Amino acid sequence: MPDICLYCQVHQPYRLRRYRFFDIGTDTDYFDVEANRSILRKVAAKCYLPANQLLLRMIEDSSGTFRLALSITGTVLEQLADAAPETLESFQRLVATGAVELLGETYYHSLASLADRDEFEQQVVLHRMTIHKWFGKWPTVFRNTELIYSDDLASVVAGLGFQGVLVEGAERALGWRLPNFVYEAATAPGLVVIPRNYQLSDDVGFRFSNRNWHGWPLTADRYASWIASSPGDSVHLFVDYETFGEHQWADTGIFEFLGHLPAECARRGISFVHPRDLAKRQPVDKLAFPTPTSWADTERDVTAWLGNGLQHAAQQRLYALRDRVLLSGDRRTIERWRRLTTSDHLYYMCTKWFSDGDVHKYFSPYDTPYDAFIAFMNVVEDLEQALAPQLVEQPPHLAWPGYGEMACMA
Amino acid sequence: MRVLMFGWEFPPHQAGGLATATHGLVKGLLGRRVAVTLVVPFPIAESPLPTLRLVSASGRTTFTRLRIPTPALPYTSGGEYLRDVRRELEGPRGVTVYGKDLFAEVDRLAAVASDIAAAEPHDVIHVHDWITYRAGLAARRVSGKPLVAHIHATEFDRAGDGANQEIVHREWEGMSEADAVISNSGVLKRQVVARYRIPDEKVSVVHWGVDHTHETWIGRANPLPSSPPLVLFLGRVTWQKGPDYFIEVARRVANFVPDARFVVAGTGDMLPWLIERAAALGLAKQVFFAGAVRGAEVDRAFRMARVCIMPSVSEPFGLVALESLRSGTPCIIPRTSGVAEVVHNAFKVNFWDVDEMTNKVVGILKYPELHRELSHRGLTELRAPRFSLDEAARLTETVYRSVTG
Repeated sequence: MPDICLYCQVHQPYRLRRYRFFDIGTDTDYFDVEANRSILRKVAAKCYLPANQLLLRMIEDSSGTFRLALSITGTVLEQLADAAPETLESFQRLVATGAVELLGETYYHSLASLADRDEFEQQVVLHRMTIHKWFGKWPTVFRNTELIYSDDLASVVAGLGFQGVLVEGAERALGWRLPNFVYEAATAPGLVVIPRNYQLSDDVGFRFSNRNWHGWPLTADRYASWIASSPGDSVHLFVDYETFGEHQWADTGIFEFLGHLPAECARRGISFVHPRDLAKRQPVDKLAFPTPTSWADTERDVTAWLGNGLQHAAQQRLYALRDRVLLSGDRRTIERWRRLTTSDHLYYMCTKWFSDGDVHKYFSPYDTPYDAFIAFMNVVEDLEQALAPQLVEQPPHLAWPGYGEMACMA
Repeated sequence: MRVLMFGWEFPPHQAGGLATATHGLVKGLLGRRVAVTLVVPFPIAESPLPTLRLVSASGRTTFTRLRIPTPALPYTSGGEYLRDVRRELEGPRGVTVYGKDLFAEVDRLAAVASDIAAAEPHDVIHVHDWITYRAGLAARRVSGKPLVAHIHATEFDRAGDGANQEIVHREWEGMSEADAVISNSGVLKRQVVARYRIPDEKVSVVHWGVDHTHETWIGRANPLPSSPPLVLFLGRVTWQKGPDYFIEVARRVANFVPDARFVVAGTGDMLPWLIERAAALGLAKQVFFAGAVRGAEVDRAFRMARVCIMPSVSEPFGLVALESLRSGTPCIIPRTSGVAEVVHNAFKVNFWDVDEMTNKVVGILKYPELHRELSHRGLTELRAPRFSLDEAARLTETVYRSVTG
């Protein structure tokens, strides 16, 4: 009988406001404070609060057998502290039960792992300190933004002191192997790799309310039986926390499903385990990830964030500023730059599925990926001008993309 | 299936998108082996489509050599029409004008429609906009075949609150009497249902497509057009198309990108005012007035432009957007246009939001990656079968079948 390892991702970005070209040099409010607050409160009311409450009850009712892991980004913690402190407290109560393991990740839910190793390490450390500050825990298992992972990253993660890492169970890396075991990173001996069972995870995350799906309606009973009949040592279910109440609304029965899961699992002898428990197990094999994988889209690669010219241009332009941003020594500038590293900004620029009209997929505050690009580039332009006073003297039209980088190199 | 179709514009006789749209629809229908006889109010030397039977409304079934140019256009108001008539009469060429005003002209078409309906075998009658509705009704009285009224734009779209009540009445009459109505967008259908009280189930939506076999359709992205960057307005210079907003955008963009140039391609009743306005804003050197452009010139205009703006106050469809995307030219379209219902890879704005349009134009001029992505994705999107002429023709044929039983 396999064990079950449940982990949920909690994240909200700082969405940009509609920053226009003529705001550059005159306006330093990059983020839509009102929209971010109201979205956060809405998500808190629909998902975080009711789900936390339910989990708390499940933990109490199960007398210590039900457990799960959460990974909470720095950007969502900041926003909770600001706009919904009672929700933050409810997370703290949940963690205080001891049944919730907190994972490590980048503070800003960024793509720094693909752009700048120094920045990546700094953001991971920043997140670790923040988790300790709010929850008094030190994460020992790592999950990168959107489960992005490759061989290059393994040694960096191990170097930061983590014992395990969560990855996507992509066929490209697994080959004939099952995701229901733990493996060892090919490039970092001792680092345990825990692959996501995307089939069973997406049954809950994406297909739960799909009436055309053969598994509908999905009950805890049926789901537990699928897990019980799965081969392997442990089934790794990784989903967004917003699945509960936000992606899948309460009226789909998602909370009832979650609430009944521990009893249905217990009935079949399935135990819940933490990622840190799995990180202590003996890996069955080594696993190599030559190219980056992620849990996004059917491609399970990084093209959702770095798949077109807009995204590459935006990412390069942003990271080209890093040295000067840090050298400025200005706390507010550094913080704002780092908030721009949040992966969501690039995700909004994704054009992969856009023509198919599948715009809802993006949870994007923009009409089009092109609007996302313009707002982002305008903000970066403003940030750059503020960094280099000599550029402000130039008429704005001379500050073409690339100009800043050239100035930096010279 | 044989269709007797009454049109008003057909290339090369055109003032707006109706000619392009009719041409595309007919081409698509012929491709589906639907026999089309198209009746046009002007004499024409030869049919531009080999299998299309083109009949002049002079009533002759052979192609006429008689030249009877008429200045009546579907977009002009009655007053403008009379002015055009006078100009034609005073002109150096000897011209014959039949009919005293636009309505007389339209009624004259209706009068010959009966004869044509009796002579041309057909299974269904298809008419385009109010100017041909009475002709369609007359034809139905003779042949008893079902009538499909196609609506491309209503008088409210063209004239806003200054709508001509007689035209509104004729639009209502045609659509009410017809056996089925085809609207070229959802937004237009809602208007037809709400304002003209046409039953919802009687109106089908058929969005326009583009000719995938058009000679400029080579499916490659446009390389970045050379400097100075050119911003294009292409359309009739009338209230409906919002050319005044274009000039306001030009003024703002010029502040940020001083070498940008702006081209107004088209003509209409607002042109003199627009030229004065551009001069008054100190834009005489930046804004160029190209007049009406047709055929290959249209493609050339799009090729030269870095971005095309469509600030229409009202745009039941907006074929210009598809032509722009087909040329690999990024396009800014009104949020409420019909084309916005089907196209994703274009900027959608409120026509009055001059600041937002400026922001987008500057973005496209400033960031080559943005131009490249929009150009590439726009072309890729239009390549889809749902944007083909055949798809529009297929849906139209479905409407024919529903009324012929």
